[in-house]
Amino acid sequence: MIKVIPMDIMTDQYNQYLIITEDVRKIVAASGIRNGMVTVETRHTTTGISVNEPLECLQSDVDVFLSRIIPEDAPYSHCHMLRDYGSTGGNPTGHLKAMIVGNHCHFPLIDGKLIGGSAQDIWFCEFDGPSQRTINIIIEGE
Amino acid sequence: MVIDIHVHPAFFDPINGDEKKEELRHNELNIHKNGTASLQHFFNKMNCAGIDMCVLLPEDYSTSMQGEVLVSNKEIRKLVDLAPDRFIGFASVDPHDPSALEKLEEAFAVLDLKGLKLHPARQHFHPDDKIMEPIYDLCEKYDRPIIFHCGLSFEAHATSKNCHPLDFEQLAERREKLRFSLAHFGWPWCRETAMLMLKYPNVYTDTGALYFDSAREFYEQTFTRDIPATWIDRSLRHQVMFGTDDPRFEMIRMSKAIEELGFRQSTVELIKGRNAIEFLHYDPEGGKR
Repeated sequence: MIKVIPMDIMTDQYNQYLIITEDVRKIVAASGIRNGMVTVETRHTTTGISVNEPLECLQSDVDVFLSRIIPEDAPYSHCHMLRDYGSTGGNPTGHLKAMIVGNHCHFPLIDGKLIGGSAQDIWFCEFDGPSQRTINIIIEGE
Repeated sequence: MVIDIHVHPAFFDPINGDEKKEELRHNELNIHKNGTASLQHFFNKMNCAGIDMCVLLPEDYSTSMQGEVLVSNKEIRKLVDLAPDRFIGFASVDPHDPSALEKLEEAFAVLDLKGLKLHPARQHFHPDDKIMEPIYDLCEKYDRPIIFHCGLSFEAHATSKNCHPLDFEQLAERREKLRFSLAHFGWPWCRETAMLMLKYPNVYTDTGALYFDSAREFYEQTFTRDIPATWIDRSLRHQVMFGTDDPRFEMIRMSKAIEELGFRQSTVELIKGRNAIEFLHYDPEGGKR
């Protein structure tokens, strides 16, 4: 059985890191599937999903690191009027950060519990906020 | 107080819900793939851009749309009522509508909207057309300013006809009591917009243009090279207002970019709010002054 359950997230910062582990656990518990695999995947191209320790200092280091290698004021190509949007695309840094972080993570599901290390939490990474976002919780199993 | 003088709320959740109307708005405004936005999301965006209040602009092109109003004055009133501390509402009427004057009087006297938005190309009029005179009279009577679309328009069915800054010179000359803004700095005719503002203190403009490159690059080109930064910083500093044309352009990056052009801090403060307060004759403590 496969269930795909959407989860909405509203961000309120330009770049933002949210720990969503407990939200994912609740959705998985309510799914009725006890054993299998869980995938958390963002639907967007300027957000990321990652796994790391939920520490403020690490969030700061990740943010500073990504901003150093992908600065806002570099001369990017993705800064121009997009005719099929009728608006200006000016978020190349969001796309590039999302490429580096990746868009999903996996956890095994055994006896109704996500199995992971004690320091592992699921990060939702916003790189072009504030925005209204949706991620998919994909649960495969029995 | 920081004010964005140029916001189109066509895709705000509280005035959407009808799929056909939403699709019509996407097609007519030529803005796509953006969905609709909750007010909380929009406030988050304003907060990140450091913007306290936004001027909301409706669109009434009804005589060329079988009577359909794209975003109505009443919808603007509804949005302002939902957040009177964040929104200032403008009116729109189609000048070719036989009931335009009646609608405008209602917009000012009953709905208490603070100004008028007009689009000469999309609404098929020239600023000097005779049908415009009673509309201007009413704006003067109620002491309400006008924002005219000026320069390139990305909307459907809208060329730049009647939208060159020079199309407005006789109006500026003829009605010195009428305050009006040539939106988007009249891009690409920014020198001509500057020319009018230099001579006529009742002519204003906004910075709602981002047609090429990033906000920082486009603003540098437009406000430091196409016209020297000194023209704004020394001569036009009381007539330029910060505007973003949201959702077509980028509120957060434009707000940052305007601060990086080398203007005096006092000029930045004028552009980002004080000029709009003067243009609107707005009293932050009590609304209209």
